[in-house]
Amino acid sequence: MAQAWFEKRERGSGWGMRVARTLVLALGRRTGRALLWPITAYFFCFLREGRIGLRRYYEALEGRRPSLRTVFAHYLTFARTILDRAYLLARHPDAPPYEIRGFEAVRSCLDRGRGAVLLGAHLGSFEAARAAASLRPELKVQVIMNVGVSRKLNETLGALDPGAQDSILALGGAASLLRVKEILAEGGLVGLMGDRALGAEPTYEAEFLGRVARFPLGPLRLAATLQVPVFFFTALYRGAATGACRYELVFEPLCEPPPEAAARVDWMRRLGERYVETLQAYCRAAPDNWFNFYDFWQVQDSGSPRRRTPDDGGDDRVGRARMERSDAPHDVGPRGER
Amino acid sequence: MKSEQTDFECEIAQLLVSSLNLALDPVSIDPEEPLFREGLGLDSIDMLEIALAISQHYGIQIRSDDPENATIFASLRALAAAIKARRA
Repeated sequence: MAQAWFEKRERGSGWGMRVARTLVLALGRRTGRALLWPITAYFFCFLREGRIGLRRYYEALEGRRPSLRTVFAHYLTFARTILDRAYLLARHPDAPPYEIRGFEAVRSCLDRGRGAVLLGAHLGSFEAARAAASLRPELKVQVIMNVGVSRKLNETLGALDPGAQDSILALGGAASLLRVKEILAEGGLVGLMGDRALGAEPTYEAEFLGRVARFPLGPLRLAATLQVPVFFFTALYRGAATGACRYELVFEPLCEPPPEAAARVDWMRRLGERYVETLQAYCRAAPDNWFNFYDFWQVQDSGSPRRRTPDDGGDDRVGRARMERSDAPHDVGPRGER
Repeated sequence: MKSEQTDFECEIAQLLVSSLNLALDPVSIDPEEPLFREGLGLDSIDMLEIALAISQHYGIQIRSDDPENATIFASLRALAAAIKARRA
């Protein structure tokens, strides 16, 4: 159910991105920004699920129901980041400025010839940041979208990105993760999203803005396997209030690689905790940058808690083998099993 | 009917079980059974882990652009055969 909704929603924003890009190239920035108002109004009126999602988010964040104005402004911020992404990809002179914080630690990692994993979220504009980064070779990031996501979704996302296609790594089984390993071995940066759990993906639980939410386990497992330092990463859209838009690219160290295989479960737990804490701190710092337009805390299964199970339901033996593994989700995450 | 593991397949099965920390008797893995999805149920991160373990133990690098990637990890038997062929 959640997955179907998610795919539907992504198609919607794909359409928006195409429109935004065309507007930028044909009409210029001022007109483009003006046209965001009716577009935003349209989505505001017809994306009920998004409004409900934002209401839950603001209730968790501020302890009260947000005004319609707050929710509308939130939608508008999202629309602006999409528009800005088009400017950045088009290398338009009107492209918004950005500043970079905390990159020294990443750079010292890269200078030593080590790669690093950037664990991001649907907070701020990962895409705008990537477009900005494409102008600076040392910031070149290979991005993989959520680990474990369906291929259909990856294809959809890939098709939306004509300008920077080469820096997106579609997840499609064996070869893509081997490629990730190679990029890191060459001292590159790989970006992953760590916030959205989709479909039958294994998850861990953590308290997020005062309520228990589920986060995907895949990115933590992948980071543990890759044996490189992990940084939190976000590109916050600032200046919504003043109208002078700029971006703030933020890098923050999360964890050094796990010392040994035996310590991985603890390491993943620590990484999950730090990731969620950091994400929460940046949500508080820039509330309108949260771009998960659905009820983030909703438990998607009415029945049993989602545990580590084979993607397709699998047979008994598989389930047993996987369930009993030491890195099963009930061993990971600040909250453990629910 | 489960087919028998050869000695080398048994060695690889032990490597799989120890590197992935599976709660499984290595001997119980059917060499013909698919390792991923409907078979043993491993996923792409497990596969990466296996590739790393193989490079550590046997000095064989499996590259992302390897044309045989789709078949190497098909089953324990295929994996063992690929390692054997590449060591020789």
